[in-house]
Formats: sequence, structure tokens, C-alpha cells
Amino acid sequence: MGTVPGQAIFTDVPVVPPKRVGLMRKVYRSRADYLYVLPAIVVMLIVIAYPVYYTIELSFFKTPASLQLKDKVFIGLDNYAYLLQLPAFWKVTVQTLIWTVSSTLFAFVLGLGCALALHREFVGRGILRALLLIPWVVSAVAASYVWKWLYHSDFGAIGALAVQLGLTSEPINFVDNVQTALPSLIVVNIWKEFSFAMIMLMAGLQTVPDQLLRAAQVDGANAWQRFWHVTFPHLSGVSMVTVLLLTVQNFNSFIIPFIMTGGGPVGSTHIWITHIYEFAFQRQQWGRGSAYAVLLFLIMVLLGYFYVRALTRGDSSRAGS
Amino acid sequence: MAQVVLKDLVKTYGTVYAVNNVSLTVNDGEFVALVGPSGCGKTTTLNLVAGLIPITSGDIVIGERVVNDLDPKDRDIAMVFQNYALYPNKSVFKNLAFPLEMRRLPKAEIEQKVMAAAKVLDMTHLLQRKPRELSGGQQQRVALGRALVRDPAVFLMDEPLSNLDAKLRVQMRSEIKRFHQDLKATIIYVTHDQLEAVTMADKMAVMNGGYLQQYDSPAEVFANPANMFVASFVGSPAMSLIPLEAATNDGNVVLHSSEGWNLPLSAANARKANNAKSKKIVLGARHSTIKLHKSAAPGAVPAKVYTVEPTGDVTFVQAFLSGSVVNISLPPSVPVSSDEQVWLEFDQDRIHLFDGETEMALHAS
Amino acid sequence: MSTMTAGDRPVARRKFDGWRWSGRVFLAFMLFFTVMPMAWMLITSLKTGFAAMQYPPQWWPAEPTLDNYTRLVDPRSKVGQDFLRYFWNSMFVSTVSTVLAVVVAVPAAYAFSRFRFPGRNFLFFAVLMRNMFPAVIFLVPLFILMRLLGLANTHGSLVITYLTFGLPLAIWLLKGFYDNIPIQLEQAARIDGATRFQAFFFIVMPLSTPGIIATAIYSFIGAWNEYIYAYTFLTKHEQLTLPVGIQRFFSENATDWPGLMAATFMMSVPVVVLFLVLQKYFVRALTEGAVKH
Repeated sequence: MGTVPGQAIFTDVPVVPPKRVGLMRKVYRSRADYLYVLPAIVVMLIVIAYPVYYTIELSFFKTPASLQLKDKVFIGLDNYAYLLQLPAFWKVTVQTLIWTVSSTLFAFVLGLGCALALHREFVGRGILRALLLIPWVVSAVAASYVWKWLYHSDFGAIGALAVQLGLTSEPINFVDNVQTALPSLIVVNIWKEFSFAMIMLMAGLQTVPDQLLRAAQVDGANAWQRFWHVTFPHLSGVSMVTVLLLTVQNFNSFIIPFIMTGGGPVGSTHIWITHIYEFAFQRQQWGRGSAYAVLLFLIMVLLGYFYVRALTRGDSSRAGS
Repeated sequence: MAQVVLKDLVKTYGTVYAVNNVSLTVNDGEFVALVGPSGCGKTTTLNLVAGLIPITSGDIVIGERVVNDLDPKDRDIAMVFQNYALYPNKSVFKNLAFPLEMRRLPKAEIEQKVMAAAKVLDMTHLLQRKPRELSGGQQQRVALGRALVRDPAVFLMDEPLSNLDAKLRVQMRSEIKRFHQDLKATIIYVTHDQLEAVTMADKMAVMNGGYLQQYDSPAEVFANPANMFVASFVGSPAMSLIPLEAATNDGNVVLHSSEGWNLPLSAANARKANNAKSKKIVLGARHSTIKLHKSAAPGAVPAKVYTVEPTGDVTFVQAFLSGSVVNISLPPSVPVSSDEQVWLEFDQDRIHLFDGETEMALHAS
Repeated sequence: MSTMTAGDRPVARRKFDGWRWSGRVFLAFMLFFTVMPMAWMLITSLKTGFAAMQYPPQWWPAEPTLDNYTRLVDPRSKVGQDFLRYFWNSMFVSTVSTVLAVVVAVPAAYAFSRFRFPGRNFLFFAVLMRNMFPAVIFLVPLFILMRLLGLANTHGSLVITYLTFGLPLAIWLLKGFYDNIPIQLEQAARIDGATRFQAFFFIVMPLSTPGIIATAIYSFIGAWNEYIYAYTFLTKHEQLTLPVGIQRFFSENATDWPGLMAATFMMSVPVVVLFLVLQKYFVRALTEGAVKH
């Protein structure tokens, strides 16, 4: 009995694969479904598809500062060539990488630490969690001003504290110094977003089955081994999404560097976004700014592909009619 | 109440047939169970009848109407779901009233019908509760009530008992059976549990791999399974199936085992064996039709006991015969032990023969 | 062994739990890191301008004062008028864009969760991709588009723009909530005589209220905190929203730090209060979809 009983029965019924229904017919059949998404599609076409198209178009033109766009001149890939030859572009690229990678890494690690420490029930846990989450909900504008004040070269609280604790002889000049400016800003960014990683990982921790942890304990695993062999593998999915979202968010940061230093001193805190903004709105070189934005766009599409893949796994298995 | 006719019903997903050319007629007032293992197409068939998914081809007739393209709400059906699908934000009363409100019945009439249904199902005291405040059995009853209150042409039930614990399941089984008898309702009932189908239904439709395997009364399906799948699926413990080979010995047709023994066949069974497409024959026998001998006996074939499972009034024995497992039931008074050599005698009038190639039951004519 | 009584048994001393203690130390450090800037903001906002500009700083204000706050909400002073106007502008823009995003997103999210129509995956992919794009990519063309539409320097331009990030996010969040509502409920409703739309409206909508609230908070906070578009699109000072308007306290030579801290505190109050009150929904919205239960 090699075959499953019943599968080869009724051999008089022809076993041909069903006819594939034409696309147009399928579209026609589900025409009512489209009504639900239509308003969203229309809005998104206007405010998303059109701008993306227009940015790409502008990136091939030399544009007048006045934005009298009928005067724009087609120059092919010149804007791209200009950018790729610009030393400042490569300097900013390196800074962007430092900014993105270190912010993401530290935010994730601190968030993971908090999530693990908060996982066990104790008195005041809820309040603690709420307090730790506040930096994530307050606006980056508020955060930037507060930290700018904390870092103030003359009256800043952090500098004064360091002196009082005997760490330095005089207040450190945090944000007006080429060496310290970028790391100082990264600290602000980590302050702002580590709790995002925390809350995601806390939710992830809740999906770790207690029974598995108990089984590991019975099998003789110590706390570290339980974390490494049971908890961490269960967090891999949510960790991936969290790291991706943090990466994207950091890549796209604008407010903290823009308000705190405006990219200075001497461009040492510029990242791609602030640099693009400078090209477009401060130097009014719309074409070059657009070309820059298209480069960013391409990287985002790549990251986006992984993000969507991570988010939609298992999604298509949900049945529906 | 009405009859339901499925004609050449087909449902495909991409290139996969979920339901393949299923035709059957459910007569007015009949209780039909669609039964089969998971993935056999039984729930898909029910959803097609309900109109929850569109059919690929074929016809569905409820009463006098072809309902192929009708919305579920226009098919005059009621359905009970496996997870009950009670509206969690509505009270029991509101849950029962919902189908009537959707039909824009006057308020007084809704109230009267809901109260009547609640009375039938003995849950008037639960009407103000929310579904989450009810036990599993109570939720099940509300789901039944919501179907009942409508007085539909057909009741569709999708594994309504599988979320209940064993004791409650037995109790609800008799309640649903009673419900059917009292209402003379047409019911199509999906289950993976062949025991539910056998105990409750007037007819059972056994499905596998999207095909309808057999459609008949439980007694008939039990007594004359159409093929090996039905034979192994219906009945507990399952019918034993032993692949053997047809041969002749002294001019008599026998079934020959690779273990060396021959089982002589009666004249009727020999005719059946001759109708097979090849020499390959599968012998089928239910546990109660096999006689166990502790020593060699004429017509009995040698087997080795594997396990002995006393259940109180019956002892089930599993034995190896020609490489296959055979189930036998014995009175508890017979002492048998594992690894014991025994001899099995088959009742020639009650064995089944199947064609080893087509897996279909063999008939004498 | 059987003769051993409870008293004879060696009592296992509770071991010092190093992991738990390092967790507590770590949490204490993170709490300090988190709270210190907020505390300093509050303390500074209670100082006079003179007290703020001292070295070493006054760790606690010598003469605490609420002047900085009363000035901000005093409709008779120039600063108060501006602040209240920005506050109102922010409230208006955030509320309108939130309502619009939710109204448009609800049916779309429902369709993405339930229906399988051709192009669904592509469209959903497009929706999710928007979450990836920085505001800057849209900034130039939208700036030009708003000028073309005559919406430059209006709150309308912000409302429309905020939909670019509010809508995709709302669709994604709501889809997560709809995915968690059993489809059998709608099937039951449709069999009970409801049309597809009635099943959605009478059964699914009431059940998804928490999801809608969560989504609304989420888009509200996003709009309230938005800076870059508001900074670029609005130039008339009576139109400004809070994050942009707050800069008016700032000038290169004589920054009014206590005033600025009071303003940032006031700006943070609505979102923090919303967050604290509806924390449960907020956290759910944040993690929905990323964590499969």
C-alpha cells in the first residue's frame, strides 16, 4: 500500500489542472473589493507616487533657484556625477554610517537589557516602563532643545556635573567640537529611541513559552544558557524587525542634527538627510538635492524590501474570501 | 425545510482541486454528515453551500432554486461554526436577535421568536450575558439558538462539537440529534469524527482528497465500504487490511501470503477475487469477525500477538499477520499475552475483498 | 533517608542572584539616563533667566518661579498670544490629519486583511514601503505641488502631507487588528442575513474600536511632533505649529533658556498625557504585526 488510500480512486474523472482564470476576469470579479482601497490609493497616488516620480525627474535637471521650473535644463546624469565626485558627499556618507550603525546598535542593546530586566513582575514595573517610554513619545524637537541645554558649553548640566565629580578640570565643549559633536548627538538619539527597542522586545519576550524555559531549567541549563538557547532564538523575528526599523529611522533622522548643530561644526554632524536639505532649501540647488534624494531612495527600497519581507512572513497563509 | 442538491461541484485553488466533482442529494429533513480526515474538502464543500466562497463550477440547488451566485444572506441557511462565532460585543439576546434584525422583522416579533428559541434550548436565564461569560456548552447552545431562531431551509454545522470536552460532546451529540428529530430539519453536518457521523446522521458522505468516496446510510457504509479508504476510516478500531495474492491450490482459489500460508476462499469470495484487475487482493476484516485460536485450526492462519489492550468488557488484541497489523476483539476471559503464537479464522461471509490496484471493493458479479 | 525529619534536612541557602542584581543596577542607570534630561528641563523652567545662566549651575532653583509658564499661557502678553496660537495650530493640524488618516485607512486596512484581489500584494507592499522613506524625498516635490495648488503657507498643506506618513502607518496598524478578528464572525453575520458591508459595519467595526483608538493616537502623536514639513512649508508666523514656533524663543545671542524649557515642557504635555492614559493601546499598536503570537 504505497499510496494513500482513496487518492487514486475514481480514475474516470480526468485529473487535469484547472483552467487558469484570466487576470481581467479576476479583477472584474473582485471589483467590489477595490472600492475599499480606492480612497487610500487615490491619496497615496497624489502624495506619494507623484512626489517620487517628480523627484526622479528633477534629478536629471539643472534647476533655477527661483523654482521657476519651466526654466529647468536637462543635464542627464550630471547631478549624480557631481555628487559622487564631491569629497563632502563621501565624508557625510561615512558620518551617516557611523550615526546609523552606532545609534541602532546601542539602542538595541540597551533596549534588550531593559526588556529582560523588566520581564519579571515586580512592584512598580508598569511605572518604570512608562517612564522609560517617555523619550520615545516626546517630540525630537523638545529632546533636541533639552539636550542642547544639557550640553551647553558654559552653563550645561553635564559639563558642570563632570567637573564636580572630578572627571574633567573644565566643562567639556560637547557640540561645538569637531571630535565630540557627532558622538554627543548619537547619545541624544539613543536616549530618544532605545525604549522603542525595549517595548518591541518586551512584546517578543511574552511569546517565549514558559514551558520551554522550565524544560531547559530541568535539563540543567543556567540563566545564561536559557537565554541563549531558548529566549534569544524566540526573539529573532522581532529583533530583525526592530533592528530594521531602527536602521531606517536613524538613516532618516533629521531633527536632532538639524536643530542641535545644523550639521556643524564644519559639517562634522551632517548626515545624508541634513545634507540633502542643505542642497535643496539652503543652497536652492533643487536638481542636485533631488539626485541626492534618489540615491537615498534606492537604499531605502533595498532596506524596505527586507522590512516588508520580515513583516509579512506568514501573512499570505491567512485564509480569506 | 428543503432539499439540497450538489451537482458536479468543483472548487479549485490555483491548480489544486479542493472539491472535485462532488454530486449528492440531501433530502428534505435528512441529517447528512460530511466526514473525512482534515484537508479532505468537507469544510470547503460546506462553505460552498453556504456561499462563503465562490464555486468554480457545478451547481448547488437549495429547495427549488439554483443558488450558485446568491449571497449567503439570500440562501435561507443557518450555520453553526466550530468556534461558535458568537458576536463578542453583543449579549446572548442580541446574538439571537441579530439574524432577525437583519431581516427587518418588527421588534415584538423578534422578541417573541428569541424567547421561544431560548426556551427550547433552556437558556432564558442567560439572555443578558455576554458570550465570554458563558461556558463552552452554553456558547454552543447559543450558536444553535442563533441558527434555530431563523427557521431556515437548511442548517449547516461545521464541527460544532470539536471544541467541547469529551463528556459534554457526548451530551451535545444527543441534543443535536433530538433537535433534528423534533424539527425535522435538513442538516448538513461536517465532522472529522466518524463516530459522530455514525451515531447522528441519516446518511454519511465520506470524503477524501476532494473526492466523494461513498454516500450512504451509516449502516451501509459500515457493512459495505466502497473502497479501502472508507473501510479504514469508518469503524473503530479500524478495519484490518491485509495485502495478499490470489492463487489457485488444488483448483480452489486461495489468498496466498508471502509468509507461506494459503487462505482458501468460499465460492462467493472466489468469484469476487476473480474480478480483480490483477493478482493483488487486499483482505479486509473487522475486529469482531475474526476468531482467535490458541492452537492450529482448520482454515485458520498463523499470527503473532503484538499488544493486548483490556478495556473492561472487551479486550482488543493487535497481532501481526503477513506483515500487517490485525485488530481482534475478545471476551476478557480469554488469556492472551504479547508475542504469543495464535491462529486467526476469518468469517467468509463477513470479510471484504479489495482490488489491490484500484483499492475498490470487489463484488461477486 | 526515610527517617530524616524536616529539621535535619540541610536548608538550601537562597543563592545570591547575580543576574537579578545586575538587572536592577542596569535599570537604575537607565532610569537616571532617561529621567535626568526631563528633570533638568523642568528644573530649568522654574528658574529665572539670571539663575539659569550660572556656573556652577543651581542644581535646585534658589527662587523657584512659575513666571515662565504664566507668561506662555497669558493671552495678554505677546509671547502668550504666540504660544497659544501655535498650540492651537498644532492641535488643529494633528486632529484633522488624524481623522482623515483613520477614515481612509479603515476600509483599506479591512480590505487588505480580508480580501484577495489581484494586485493586493503589490499595493500592500507600496503602502509598507512608504514607512521607509524619509520626509526629505517628498519635501521638494510636495513643496512645489503645494505652491501649484495654492496651498503654500496653509494648514491644508500640512494636513495633506501628514497623510503621506499617517495613512500607510494607519493601514498597517489597523490591518494587524483586523487580522486578529476571526473571519468566522463575518461569515456568521453574512449567513445571518447581513451583506458584506453590513457584516463589516455592524460586527467588525465595533470590535476594532481599540485598534482604531490606538491608530488614532499613533497618528496624532506623529503629526503633533512633525517638524520638517512644518518648518519648510510655513513661513507666516501666525501659521506656525508648536515644534517650529518654539524656535522663536531662540536667538543666537540671548536665548531665553528657562522660557524655552517651559515651552518644550508644555509642548510635551499633550502627547505624554495621551500616552500615559492610553498606554495599553499605544504599546499594542507599536508592537502589533512585528510579534506573531
